[in-house]
Amino acid sequence: MTIRIETKSGEFELAGISNGNILFSGLAQGLTLPYECATGTCGTCRARVMSGTVDIVWDAAPGFARLKRDKGDILMCQAHTKGDCVLRIPSDVGISERPRPRQFSGEITKTRLLTHDVVHFDVALDARMPFDAGQFVVLAAPGMAGGRAYSMVNYAPETDRLSFVVKKKPGGGFSQWMFGGALQGSRLSVFGAVGKATFRPAVEANDLVIVAGGSGIAGMMSILDCAIAAGHFERHRGRVYFGVRTLADGFYLSELSRFSIAAKGALTISLVLSHETPLRDTHPEFPEIRLDTGFVHEAAARGLEAGTETALGFVAGPPPMVDGAIRVLLKDARIPARSIRYDKFG
Amino acid sequence: MSWIRVCAAAEVPANTAKKFWVAGGIPMLIVNYGSGFRAMPPVCPHMEEPLEDSGVVANCILTCTKHLWAWNLQTLEMQGETERPLQVYEVKQEGGDVFARVDKEILYDFEKDDDMDDDAFFNKS
Repeated sequence: MTIRIETKSGEFELAGISNGNILFSGLAQGLTLPYECATGTCGTCRARVMSGTVDIVWDAAPGFARLKRDKGDILMCQAHTKGDCVLRIPSDVGISERPRPRQFSGEITKTRLLTHDVVHFDVALDARMPFDAGQFVVLAAPGMAGGRAYSMVNYAPETDRLSFVVKKKPGGGFSQWMFGGALQGSRLSVFGAVGKATFRPAVEANDLVIVAGGSGIAGMMSILDCAIAAGHFERHRGRVYFGVRTLADGFYLSELSRFSIAAKGALTISLVLSHETPLRDTHPEFPEIRLDTGFVHEAAARGLEAGTETALGFVAGPPPMVDGAIRVLLKDARIPARSIRYDKFG
Repeated sequence: MSWIRVCAAAEVPANTAKKFWVAGGIPMLIVNYGSGFRAMPPVCPHMEEPLEDSGVVANCILTCTKHLWAWNLQTLEMQGETERPLQVYEVKQEGGDVFARVDKEILYDFEKDDDMDDDAFFNKS
């Protein structure tokens, strides 16, 4: 089977499609194919089938909305093929110098309820996965169509133990599976690591501004873990704004508190409550964590003083929060777009 | 058609953008970047996001918050990973008013295929 990919920067041939789809196979081969969400929502991995046929996994994927399907346009993340085909991708493609993602298999080894609707779970992989802080994997469970993107919570340059957090969502297949009693020992397929909203302290000498809502804190925990391990806060400042509904909805607070202590005053953490007015300025159990009220991006706007324009901004959370936070980083913190990182799932 | 008064300069404060209708039905975004004005179609050339809502003006840069495409408003240079230029109407300020030169409405061709059908683009010709 031959899969030829024509791009603006030349032609490539995929060695084959193993268990995964066209996007995953190309990324595993080191091609810098365009993608963002890798799960069918954003539409970035658009390609056109010039010859041959492909099978689409999730026909109703939102990422198809702007595609010309009558002309053969597909989302590579949703496309499988069993025979020869030729695809066109309307952009430059090269060979990545970063570790290549690939397919792993994993097993849930631990689950821990963090709040009434948030669960932490650990996955043991069958081999070690290299990844950058802030990256995610695509998880698929047996009997569930398609994959879901989850950011790693932990950080190690290469590890066979990944941690994740999942929030209960009505109708969210994977979340329902987890909350419906996915047991320790459940098997998962894991493709990764992917995602470009990463932090690499070896090449980045900047302060960090992090704005996260709910389970969006996941990748930020990895970034903070990595930054602490690299001694980043010995030379740079960090500000974290973590939005949840009420004090009882806060999680990973002991970890955040530990990060703040390890950073010796260079890392400030604010827990911002959207549906509750805190009775005091700091968390009753974790005095290193400041409490604020309102929307998390508004708290960030109030807290970001002059001098943050050279910082790297990281944003994750529900779409309206991401939009609000990006505005604050651009306008109030005056951080340019090139220094703002988030996973574009929409 | 040529120079058309769009608005009073004071209607668009520094570092903001506002949409107006001119010449009987042409939508136009006026952007004040502090040291000058720009006039343009009111949508992002990427995915038609309405720039009056999704655009942020700071440091002389217009950024669409949807996917962070951005342009320098003085030079119109594309910033970072932006892939399409911003198209603008010629603009001038006279007295307290902003004028744009409109010969015809500028429309981005969102139906264009990003060169998908262009064999030369793929070195196939």
